Amino acid sequence: MSFEAGWYAVAIAEGLEPGTSAGTRLFDKEIVVWRDQDGASHAWEDRCPHRGMRLSFGFVRGNHIACLYHGWQYDTAGQCRYIPAHPNLEVPDTIKVVTYPSAEAGGLVWIWSEMTTEAPVPPPADFAARPVRSLYVERSAESIAAAFVSGALGDFEASGPSVFETVIDGARLRLALQPFTAERSALHIVRLGGEADPTAIAAWSEGLRRGLEAPLPVRCAAPAAHAGA
Amino acid sequence: MILHDYELDSDAYKVRLLLSILGVAYDKVPVDVHPGREQRTEPYLRLNPLGTLPILVDGDMVLHDAEAILPYIAKRYDTGGVWLPDDPAAFGAVMMWLVFAARDLASADQARLHHMLEAPGDPVALDKAARAAFRVMEDHMTKRELAGAKWFVGASATIADLALFPPIALSRDFAIDHDEYPALRRWMRRVRALPGFITMPGIPDYH
Ligand code: FES
Repeated sequence: MSFEAGWYAVAIAEGLEPGTSAGTRLFDKEIVVWRDQDGASHAWEDRCPHRGMRLSFGFVRGNHIACLYHGWQYDTAGQCRYIPAHPNLEVPDTIKVVTYPSAEAGGLVWIWSEMTTEAPVPPPADFAARPVRSLYVERSAESIAAAFVSGALGDFEASGPSVFETVIDGARLRLALQPFTAERSALHIVRLGGEADPTAIAAWSEGLRRGLEAPLPVRCAAPAAHAGA
Repeated sequence: MILHDYELDSDAYKVRLLLSILGVAYDKVPVDVHPGREQRTEPYLRLNPLGTLPILVDGDMVLHDAEAILPYIAKRYDTGGVWLPDDPAAFGAVMMWLVFAARDLASADQARLHHMLEAPGDPVALDKAARAAFRVMEDHMTKRELAGAKWFVGASATIADLALFPPIALSRDFAIDHDEYPALRRWMRRVRALPGFITMPGIPDYH
């Protein structure tokens, strides 16, 4: 199984607070995901056009993101608007960060995996969900998908090429798989329905990660065993 | 009160941070750790035979190791008992995280010194151990947030938060990004917003 160009979840939307940024990777490409003060989220190449500093190391000022290195500021379209060393300069249009199409649905931030102005297919439709957590696993997305399909770690149903569902403690969970690097992945977990203690689901996810990272897949213990952890 | 201090020492920073937050006046004596290795000279070995910083001298009392100095300062100068709670369960949890900071996060400190000052160490093993420790912290704060809490222990910040903060806040100095730690990223933002918060070299000040 391999993963193709498409929409991938990269973060829990609620976890990206207004005025903050986060670095992530998709197919090993460095990406900055940030939310402006007005609440809109953006996904860009994590590289300042000036000298290549990761923009995720910088900080958000209002609706601009500022680079940590020399303070160049970019607006929500990625256009450089301000260069502190030349405060009166009308910044040329060519100084622009490369952006990825992004959208929010089901409590997750999704991005199209290729740099382009418009994605060839629309983003996932919104769905009702409550966020649980992002789980980072030191395994390739291919091996995680294979483990889910094999049933060795419980009953997982594929509801899309990178999206799986399972039921834990009576709660239906959706797990969106993000190919991070060749050896690392993220699973963004949301709850579609059912009452369950979210901290028990988070504890279950730690067991899932142990199972996924174990040299040989082992069946994880029933969630009840983790509920008091 | 005198703090024998080195600006780049993340353990000394923990102490400076608590003293700044509590607004306690003290004298700072800079020690020439790099390149002078002054902490290993005779006068310093008399204060601390381990040859490490920070060292706190308060009257007749001499203490070394941040995880001992933080509780001392909290007991002595935080009369409200906020930073080191009295409640047995909360006290136990704070002590558990202080032990974690001193023991499990030592690899993070060694990884940083290896990157910055070429201190001896196996970078691959240190990187692995530091990531394992950060993952324990991330899992804990993930569950804390889901339960509506904002800090490692209890309803407000404690010395546990201050002892755990520097290694992860400085982790980019030893090539561990914050990408995989969303709950710690949010928690670090809360630590930065504490009244009296100060930075150290390597921790940018954006506010
Ligand atoms: S590298 Fe970003 S402003 Fe210089």
